[in-house]
Amino acid sequence: MTGPGRGHETRQLVDHLFRNRAGQLVAWLTRVFGPAHLQLAEEVVQDALVKALQQWPYSGIPDNPAGWLLRVARNGALDALRRDVSFRGRAGAIAAEIARTADALAGDPVALDGLLRDDELRMIFLCCHPSLPQEARVALSLKTVGGFSVAEIARALLGSDKAIAQRLVRAKRQLRDTGATFELPAGAELESRLESVLEVIYLLFNEGYSAHAGDDLVRLDLCGEALRLARLVAGSATTSAPAAHALTALIAFQTARIPARVDGAGDMVLLEQQDRALWDPHLIALGFAHFERSAAGPVVTAYHIQAAIAAVHAGGHTVTAWAHVLGLYDDLLVLNPSPVVALNRAVALSKVAGPARALAEIAALEGDPALANYFLLPAVKGRLLAEMGDRRRAAASFRAALERACSEPERRWLVRRLAEVETAEITESTESTESTETTESTESTKSTKRLTPGERE
Amino acid sequence: MAKFMLLLYDDPASFATMSPEQIQKVIEKYMAWGARLKKAGVWSASHKLTDEPGKVMRGKGPGVRVTDGPYSETKEILGGYYLIEVESYDQAMDQARDCPHLEYGGTIEVRQVDNMGA
Repeated sequence: MTGPGRGHETRQLVDHLFRNRAGQLVAWLTRVFGPAHLQLAEEVVQDALVKALQQWPYSGIPDNPAGWLLRVARNGALDALRRDVSFRGRAGAIAAEIARTADALAGDPVALDGLLRDDELRMIFLCCHPSLPQEARVALSLKTVGGFSVAEIARALLGSDKAIAQRLVRAKRQLRDTGATFELPAGAELESRLESVLEVIYLLFNEGYSAHAGDDLVRLDLCGEALRLARLVAGSATTSAPAAHALTALIAFQTARIPARVDGAGDMVLLEQQDRALWDPHLIALGFAHFERSAAGPVVTAYHIQAAIAAVHAGGHTVTAWAHVLGLYDDLLVLNPSPVVALNRAVALSKVAGPARALAEIAALEGDPALANYFLLPAVKGRLLAEMGDRRRAAASFRAALERACSEPERRWLVRRLAEVETAEITESTESTESTETTESTESTKSTKRLTPGERE
Repeated sequence: MAKFMLLLYDDPASFATMSPEQIQKVIEKYMAWGARLKKAGVWSASHKLTDEPGKVMRGKGPGVRVTDGPYSETKEILGGYYLIEVESYDQAMDQARDCPHLEYGGTIEVRQVDNMGA
């Protein structure tokens, strides 16, 4: 054995190699063991990763790290089959299948990748089995396909480690008890399962894109994983429905703008202050490619309209075509009449028809229990009031927003806006009319920094 | 120039709950550390020991007893070692100080190879 990096000083691991391979290997072993043995598949793969951690620091990264992991997982799986009596008569056939796949594909990365991708896709569909409650589907997808640890899932979903661990144990037991199979369902069942898969991916993405708690405005990990899964579903002939393309487009557009949404200090940057040169042109191109394919068919889903809104934003290299965005929100509201959509629409309306009209719409939303703890409602209201020069009520709205849960960068943003209107308030009451006017004009310049939930969703 | 062994002990059970991403990050840190040893020209060899505890032999002649082990009171086992060439214990420890092994809760035993004054 040579030492680490000897003669290969530059050999590096591909980003997320372990995460991606772990998901694929778990999927592969779940197929050959059967879904009842998902837990065992996870343990075998974890052991293989740990072996790499124990070996590579001394011997260096092998020439084909993915092949190395496959080989070690293969050996671990064969050992497990010998130990685990629950396989009984099936053990021989399973062992033969494992050896056959691993030996044939270890040296052929392309064929291996194709096979594992296929298994991974089936794995997502298994995680979204109708026998599981939705929260279990999300957690199980993150664990098995996304390669997240229990602690990472708990952080992402704002649950405790213990609760997530229990949720996963229950979900695996449920899959075993229902006798869930690894094959993709067909016909109408495929359609409804696909709907659930897209919903889980959408939730993952939303959780990453607008985390409403914690230190980070965006959890890139979750966004990246959601994009990867969406592309996997949209890229497979069996599952590439127009809605899958629409969702992929939406996620690609939104992810493209992430680098501009947070500044160097981790603070939130609103759409109109964003340096649009930071938007990722490759992801925007990817978004448009999927957006085009989402139009193949008569179906228009909420993903289609949200992707269309995101496309307007992503296509706006200097300014945003707000009238177009407003029209799309009208359509979205018909398909998905939720108060959050209505709030987003109000923001677009304010850009087109002014803050007073938007405030009237928001007033109608204020009693809605679904928005009772949603900090963006008072935050948007505060911005609109500030824009109209009503600093007293703007300050009250920002204070109300600060009482609701939000992420740390969002909280800092609210504190700054509150300070701005409060300073202006004091200036107004203590200084001459002339200086009030000066403050007024400063404030109206600042008011272009508008909070736009439309850019967040 | 003297030779020193860096003996790396750890508790393998501590890896059980790490996510794939975390494991990759840790490996990358070890690689960066190893690359630095090479760049500094102090690396001489490194080997991982197999996972089983090995054998312990005691006694003599026909009375030699062989047991599995060594089992220590702690859960830490000797996972592998690095052989490095530096001037002194201080320099050896300077090289080992930023080894990720310590960051992740492992122990490093530093021993000098005795060259018997040669």
